[in-house]
Amino acid sequence: MAEEQYPARWGMVIDMNVCTGCQACVTACNMENNIPWVGEDDAGYGRTMHWMRIHRTWSGEELEAKPTFQPVMCQQCGRAPCEPVCPVFATVHSLDERINVQVYNRCIGTRYCANNCPYFARNFNWFDYSYQIPAPMNYYLNPNVTVRRRGVMEKCSFCVQRIHEVEDRAKAEGRAIHDGEVQSACAQACPVDAIVYGDLSDPESRVSAAARSQRRFVLLEELGTHPAVTYLKGEGNYGG
Amino acid sequence: MSEKIVHMALFKEEELEEVGEALDVLRGMGVPEHDISVISGVPFSEKMLGRPMSWTRVPYIAMVGAVIGFLTAAFFNFGTPTLYPIKVGGMAIQTIPTSIVLQFELTMLGLLISTFIGVFVETISPSYGPKGYDARITDGQIGVLFEADADLDPALHKSLTGLGAEMVHGTEAKKLWVL
Amino acid sequence: MAAEAHPIPSAHAESAEHEELREQLMFDPRPREEMNRMVMEAMTETTPRYWTVVGILAVIVAVCLFGVWGWMIFEGTGTAGIRRPVYWGMFIVTFVFWIGISHAGTFVSAILRVFKAEFRRPFTRAAELMTTFGLAAGALYPLIHLGRVWVFYWMIPYPNARWLWPNFRSPLEWDLMAITTYLLSSTIYLYLPLIPDLAMGRDRTSGWRHIFFKTLALGWRGTEAEWFRLKTAINIFAFAIIPVMFSVHTIVSWDFAVSQTGAWNSTIFGPYFIVGAILSGVSAVITILIVLRGTLKHMTYFIRLEHIDALGKLILIFSMAWGYFFFNDYLVSWYGGYEVTRSILSLHASGPEAWIWYCMLCFNVVIPWLTLWNRKWRRTPWLMFIVTVLINVGMYFERYTIVPMTLAHQRLPFDWGTYAPRVADTFIPIGSFFFFILLYMLASRLIPLIPVWEVREGQEAHIIRKIGKTHIPSVSDLD
Repeated sequence: MAEEQYPARWGMVIDMNVCTGCQACVTACNMENNIPWVGEDDAGYGRTMHWMRIHRTWSGEELEAKPTFQPVMCQQCGRAPCEPVCPVFATVHSLDERINVQVYNRCIGTRYCANNCPYFARNFNWFDYSYQIPAPMNYYLNPNVTVRRRGVMEKCSFCVQRIHEVEDRAKAEGRAIHDGEVQSACAQACPVDAIVYGDLSDPESRVSAAARSQRRFVLLEELGTHPAVTYLKGEGNYGG
Repeated sequence: MSEKIVHMALFKEEELEEVGEALDVLRGMGVPEHDISVISGVPFSEKMLGRPMSWTRVPYIAMVGAVIGFLTAAFFNFGTPTLYPIKVGGMAIQTIPTSIVLQFELTMLGLLISTFIGVFVETISPSYGPKGYDARITDGQIGVLFEADADLDPALHKSLTGLGAEMVHGTEAKKLWVL
Repeated sequence: MAAEAHPIPSAHAESAEHEELREQLMFDPRPREEMNRMVMEAMTETTPRYWTVVGILAVIVAVCLFGVWGWMIFEGTGTAGIRRPVYWGMFIVTFVFWIGISHAGTFVSAILRVFKAEFRRPFTRAAELMTTFGLAAGALYPLIHLGRVWVFYWMIPYPNARWLWPNFRSPLEWDLMAITTYLLSSTIYLYLPLIPDLAMGRDRTSGWRHIFFKTLALGWRGTEAEWFRLKTAINIFAFAIIPVMFSVHTIVSWDFAVSQTGAWNSTIFGPYFIVGAILSGVSAVITILIVLRGTLKHMTYFIRLEHIDALGKLILIFSMAWGYFFFNDYLVSWYGGYEVTRSILSLHASGPEAWIWYCMLCFNVVIPWLTLWNRKWRRTPWLMFIVTVLINVGMYFERYTIVPMTLAHQRLPFDWGTYAPRVADTFIPIGSFFFFILLYMLASRLIPLIPVWEVREGQEAHIIRKIGKTHIPSVSDLD
């Protein structure tokens, strides 16, 4: 008998104490989610499409400046400011995974959601970037993820395609999902396990235990967005 | 029953008092109010000429339109989220503060569009009173149209031209529009 | 009724007071046929110079507005200068600008009508045309700035196979509803008082113009019932379109105010935007009236210096009101606001684009306050032209400060960026500006620009009474 899985709340904990800023998570995310390359000019102008980016801040005097790294992606807010402002319901709150989903084929490209996101975690397809990939190079694209065309908003989806894959398999096998079975691309790639990904609604999952740590903080807490991503202070980044 | 012909007495716009006296003459001759019509290029209130007030149903049509607009907005705000509930931003499915905007806008839209429809329908509907027109009306003349028995003709002609009017006998209803 | 139908008692000798009063339109009546003739001539006599200008404008509009827009649709929104974090740029700035300009007509024809300000009579139609065409130009922008224009109709609530409705909680959806309402209402409000003038045109033209006027005049004769119906409808419109006008620009301001973006989440945006819109719009009315006086025949009879004077007083008041709202927003944020708002405000005043902020304050506040208090200067057309054009430039800069300059400097420093307009951002707004002028020029050939019956009605109502030893102009309420 398959155990009835109550609505999950997928979340993430990122430990700043061990993050080295190696960008393996960014690369893995790009590969998993068919994120297009925009070219040198557009990248220089600030139009990179990385769903996940490493915020690097410098502290200290010139010769002793030290960077601190903070991976930031869509925080999958519980009270997302991006959701109510879309005029066509292209970004909505999913009731099963309790994350914020972006519906590519409904988006008409008003970009209001991106303006309203306090973390500026959203990216917009300014041109048909993906259509410029010459064959046979386009075989690297992940068939599980839509390739977006111009005029459409996109953002981190917590690898929802992986969630569904595991859910389908679990349902077919008549069992519940084990903790750690679903791994987002970034969590899977991180060499130091700085990213812990799992179901926050399960109090015994690894991610829930990590989220209860004393070092926890969330980005821009004063805005009341209730993000699903928790950061742990450490290594000069005292957060908050 | 003697034949009734439509006559028009044209006065200059400044001669408003003469128009009033002409109307008295007509009433004295027994022409009923509903057989008299005053047309002008500038609006004159009926009170100025001692005429009965006209009526229009445009305000009522406007109210009906406003109600329709209000109900449409109520459907959009509270009906559509029930038909296809989509959760956004941690808000309830049906929110009152956000619905006020649409309620107001569609009510006003209904009010204003139905006002125009009312004016349009009333204008193209057949009207009472003698028909007739002369292009000089828009050039600053006031026309008093009246239907009178043919035998009253010479007396009316004399008294009205005495007041300074230009008489046009037997004006026909011109086809001023497609209907 | 014993009201003197002659505005100036002909029995008395013309005194100096009478001469002065004759300078006002309401005390300088001409025979109705002559006024009709003047208005029709202004409409029908077109010079080769007119056609040259229209031709050039048409080419510019075809290339700059529609050509570049088509190119942008084909290539992608990236041809504009927008980027992360400035996702809204010149398109939204120009959108708010046009919606602001469109408030002029309603202000002049509805609010002044409700307040029975007699000086509004000759230019209500010119102002209402501005509203309609400002909305036409502005309503293009919610389409222009979309990433996928071809599916814009998903914002319209219509039953479809997927049972999907648009999100009525989104301010952009409110924009759609409000602008549709306002556009339809102001077109109808332009049309209703136009009917008697269309009838006048019908009686005086032949050929295609005659057919055009005859169809639109709905068989108008001028009976009491027709006038009563028209005045009832115009009254309903005048009272109803004022709250619509307020709501439209408030809703546009809520595009910004309901978000959590720093410096946008301000409760004062509603009235602030409305006052700015009226300032911008009435200034544009003055600009257009001065251009009309200079280019169309006989306009100097209808639009006189007294009208420019009265409108100039209005924009002085609104410039003060704008300054009040601006300072309200600024002081409150500067004093005890959030860190993000305060850093944005200091960026406005001292960042790389601070010249825009200073120009805005100079053109919106300093120049009007220095010039518009003087009666003689308010009656100088070329000076008023310069002042009102500068006010509109200042208002454009205000919207530029609010949209791109604020988005560029939000909470997380890693996301700060700059914005520079590119080809699409620059040419499309220029094209829409010329589109507005082109529509206006074409309309001046199609409909009479002066509501002659309203001017005449006003002239009938104005008399000069003798009180004691002096003659006082007085207006009676003809309603």
